[in-house]
Amino acid sequence: MNLSNPIYNLIIFLILSVLAYLLFRPTKGWFWIFKNNLKVNEKTVIEDILKLLFHYENSNKKGTIDSVTRGLKFNDSLIIDVLKEMSIKELIQLDGEDLSLTNSGRDYALKIIRVHRLWEKYLAEKTGFDKLEWHERAEDMEHKLSPKETNLLATELGQPMYDPHGDPIPTHKGKVAEVKGDLLSKLPVNTVGRITHIEDEPDVIYKQILAENIHIGSQIRVIENNAKRIVFYSEGEEFILAPVVASNLTIDVFEKEVTLEEDMVRLSSLQEGETASILGISKECRGDARRRLLDLGFVKGTAIKIDLISPLKNPKAYLVKGTSIALRDIQASKILIKKQ
Amino acid sequence: MKEKKVNSACETCPEYSANGLKKLGVNIENTDYVVALAGNPNTGKSTVFNALTGLRQHTGNWPGKTVIRAEGAFEYNSKKFKLVDLPGTYSLLSTSQDEEIARNFILFGKPDVTVIVVDASRLDRNLNLVLQILEITDKAVLCLNLMDEAERNNIEIDERTLARDLGIPVVPTSARFNKGIPELIRTVNEVAHGIIFCDPHRIKNVPDNINKAVKKLSAELKKQFPGIPNSRWIAFRLLEGDKRIIEALESGELV
Amino acid sequence: MAKKPIKNIIKLSNDLRWQIGDDFHDNLAEGIYADAAELVSNSVQTDSGKKRFRLDSKIDKIITSKTWGFPLMFLILGVVLWLTIIGANYPSGMLAQLLLDTIHPLLKSGASSIGMPWWLDGFLIDGVYLAVAWVIAVMLPPMAIFFPLFTLLEDFGYLPRVAFNLDALFKKAGAHGKQALTMSMGFGCNAAGVVATRIIDSPRERLIAIITNNFSLCNGRWPTQILIATIFIGAVVPSSVSGLASVGAVIGIAILGMVFMFFSSWALSKTVLKGEVSTFNLELPPYRPPRFWKTLYTSLIDRTLIVLWRAIVFAAPAGAVIWLISNIMIGDHSIAYWMINGLDGFGWLLGLNGVILVAYIVAIPANEIVIPTILMLTVLVTGIAGGEGAGVMFELDSVTATGDILRAGGWTLLTAVNLMLFSLLHNPCSTTIYTIYKETKSAKWTTLASIAPVIMGFVVTFLVAQIWRLFG
Repeated sequence: MNLSNPIYNLIIFLILSVLAYLLFRPTKGWFWIFKNNLKVNEKTVIEDILKLLFHYENSNKKGTIDSVTRGLKFNDSLIIDVLKEMSIKELIQLDGEDLSLTNSGRDYALKIIRVHRLWEKYLAEKTGFDKLEWHERAEDMEHKLSPKETNLLATELGQPMYDPHGDPIPTHKGKVAEVKGDLLSKLPVNTVGRITHIEDEPDVIYKQILAENIHIGSQIRVIENNAKRIVFYSEGEEFILAPVVASNLTIDVFEKEVTLEEDMVRLSSLQEGETASILGISKECRGDARRRLLDLGFVKGTAIKIDLISPLKNPKAYLVKGTSIALRDIQASKILIKKQ
Repeated sequence: MKEKKVNSACETCPEYSANGLKKLGVNIENTDYVVALAGNPNTGKSTVFNALTGLRQHTGNWPGKTVIRAEGAFEYNSKKFKLVDLPGTYSLLSTSQDEEIARNFILFGKPDVTVIVVDASRLDRNLNLVLQILEITDKAVLCLNLMDEAERNNIEIDERTLARDLGIPVVPTSARFNKGIPELIRTVNEVAHGIIFCDPHRIKNVPDNINKAVKKLSAELKKQFPGIPNSRWIAFRLLEGDKRIIEALESGELV
Repeated sequence: MAKKPIKNIIKLSNDLRWQIGDDFHDNLAEGIYADAAELVSNSVQTDSGKKRFRLDSKIDKIITSKTWGFPLMFLILGVVLWLTIIGANYPSGMLAQLLLDTIHPLLKSGASSIGMPWWLDGFLIDGVYLAVAWVIAVMLPPMAIFFPLFTLLEDFGYLPRVAFNLDALFKKAGAHGKQALTMSMGFGCNAAGVVATRIIDSPRERLIAIITNNFSLCNGRWPTQILIATIFIGAVVPSSVSGLASVGAVIGIAILGMVFMFFSSWALSKTVLKGEVSTFNLELPPYRPPRFWKTLYTSLIDRTLIVLWRAIVFAAPAGAVIWLISNIMIGDHSIAYWMINGLDGFGWLLGLNGVILVAYIVAIPANEIVIPTILMLTVLVTGIAGGEGAGVMFELDSVTATGDILRAGGWTLLTAVNLMLFSLLHNPCSTTIYTIYKETKSAKWTTLASIAPVIMGFVVTFLVAQIWRLFG
């Protein structure tokens, strides 16, 4: 081969780079797809079917062979084989086309959901993974953890009741706490309440919610609700959502005449020269990050003001209990204050 | 043997000879007492360490810099003290690596005395760690360091009230200028020998429901492990689901 | 040890935990601070009536200001590097004079007077001794200047402000602001930079900082860059601006290194190290005047000597290997000759040559000995006059003479440019690799940190060579 011609060399290089890209690009690379396909086994398929049927049951939808094959990304013949086996094991009842969970099937499904939500909680509390990553990682992990490991994990996390999206985590006995509240899209104007659940599926809508920087646990007041858009006020800011997005937020409506703490705003809105006192840390700030902030003195009642702003505006240094501590704006948005 | 080796200029000053201090550097064998040195980052903890041992340890003003704990020794009135410099931390409640090292040493290493170095001009921030340590151990000395900075900032501290409220001896120092170090050593010695008795402050402002839970759990702990010294703190940790503490209870390390 | 029956305790704590709910930790933390506030109000009196001059905040306002923040930072980094490079010249020259020009001949004549066989003498004195001597002469002075300066800035409290100023850029790359410091530390020594990543408290960001530290041009590589730039880049422009051009080229390479650092950090955080910074918080401590002599002493002990010792441990066997491959014959030629021959084709493709690749393979332990090795190997394969014999590394006092040897070895401007690029983009030295392994305790990350830069180096030099030839 003649390697002295630069044009040939560059063309060969280009071809190799494209090939490497196709093979190894994140998640969609052929190599990763091939590797994932090797991992699929019967247990995964059974557990995914159980989970799907459980969700159908909860939303009063009917499970059919057709809806299951469309709802899961495994190939159809594999799913049908597995469904037959599951009915022999008495995990599901096959009634013609219709599918329903048996009691033991439901228990099994709850166990998988417990692992899934615990793992999301773990990712939220103990790791720095992006929120968008939690679901997929938990989907993978739910098939792997043994019951013993799951219980250890639950103990380590302090027996949490809710996952980071606000979904209840079933106990090891299969007890599920209930989620109170109504969908934001159905609330009349001037309703006051608190965000208790943010649905993480489908992905596209979840991304929009994250982009708006909406926090779980925030108090809100509905300002406008019509077919076009839903506007609500929360923590000193106005949020505008499409109804389809708003229907992924659950709000616990305050029953009594609780007035919204209108002067509760986010630390990120503090201006230079203003002083404020800290009201608390949003539920959106979790785990180690939350503990660290508490340790650093970001506790209720502490006076706070801006000490320094970095040349690129972010981060800012705040003076708390005599010490200057720098935080990025995204973190500051999770600290709630009342300006003085 | 280099018995006459001069370690520092202060060796000839009256305070030194009167108190019989001998800096032993890294010679940490056969010590009579173990002293732990804890404190927030940026409080001059390493300066205190160096002033006591004659070592020159550099740590820099970052949390997490002292990942490996440093050890040194000094001799006072012919008793040898081993000094363990713990990583500088803001708290013992989180689970970062350095906090775990510091926490584990105070809990499992059972030092004879724990010296807590605090920045006198930022006392409220520093007391967070102090109050947590006092839940774990009885024998502690508060080293009120950077007194020079506090004075410059017009901050006056009533040491006697603070000592009474905290239930442990308080020694003001300016370790950079070697001020207060002899008093600190004398106090450490007296606490180690039980001449000074500590009755440390316990955290009071805990909500009722938590207090009840903690009382219940700590009573159960005392029943199961008679003589456990810090059952209340263990109960706090159990409620947080601290794996290491559960393991330690299982293996009986804590009693 | 027998396990204690603590099931009931665990069960009780689980039940209680369920009852008291999620806010337990918050309540406890708030409770402790409330206690602290009470204690303080009892015993602390602040005389806030007196307005005091806050020097700290005056300094901070300037250091972090929009106008002065960045220029000051570059100025300080520039001064530190300038002091290091220029200041090290003189002691380096003296050490070289002593270790290479005085002691080396003495050892040689001593060896021959006691009748040491030539191969033992060559192996020990020309191989092991020379490599160690070279590393000490080139490495010790800049490190003994750089580290104390850096430590002084650290003790004064300036470095946290640098992290504060630069964090926005690092945030874009998915990294932590404190990486600015480990990066700057890397300009002194990558191994020390890797150790310094301990200040980054979240593991993901720390790994990114460790893996990308190699893109900071370290002290071992500055001299190579300066020498090659002076010989080749300075020569293509009018002599009145040649000094400026070569300095510009070296700075360009260092900045390119930062670009690669940001790019790799970003790529890592988008692929194998996905995620976001979860625990960014940075205390900006009050300024405290550093104690000069103490700092000097501790930084020498803690940083310089430890790193130097590791470098020597790795350099000694490298010297032996260099001597051996130049002196052990297979057929008519030495091993080095065959290696160079074998790699010449690949080297040409990258716009380099076999000599350079062999030099980089055997000089993995220390970048300091790359140039002496290249010179020795060039003389060895071309057979031109110069040097002191097979396997004896050397350097020439005269830059012109060095250039003559390299040109005789077939070097062109392209070779020089690509050598400068490859010197920036290749595997970390073995001291750094070992340090990475010690810090990460992971063979996987160590491998990635070692292989990825060299692949980038291949790709970049290849592309430059091909495009150069296409238009040249």
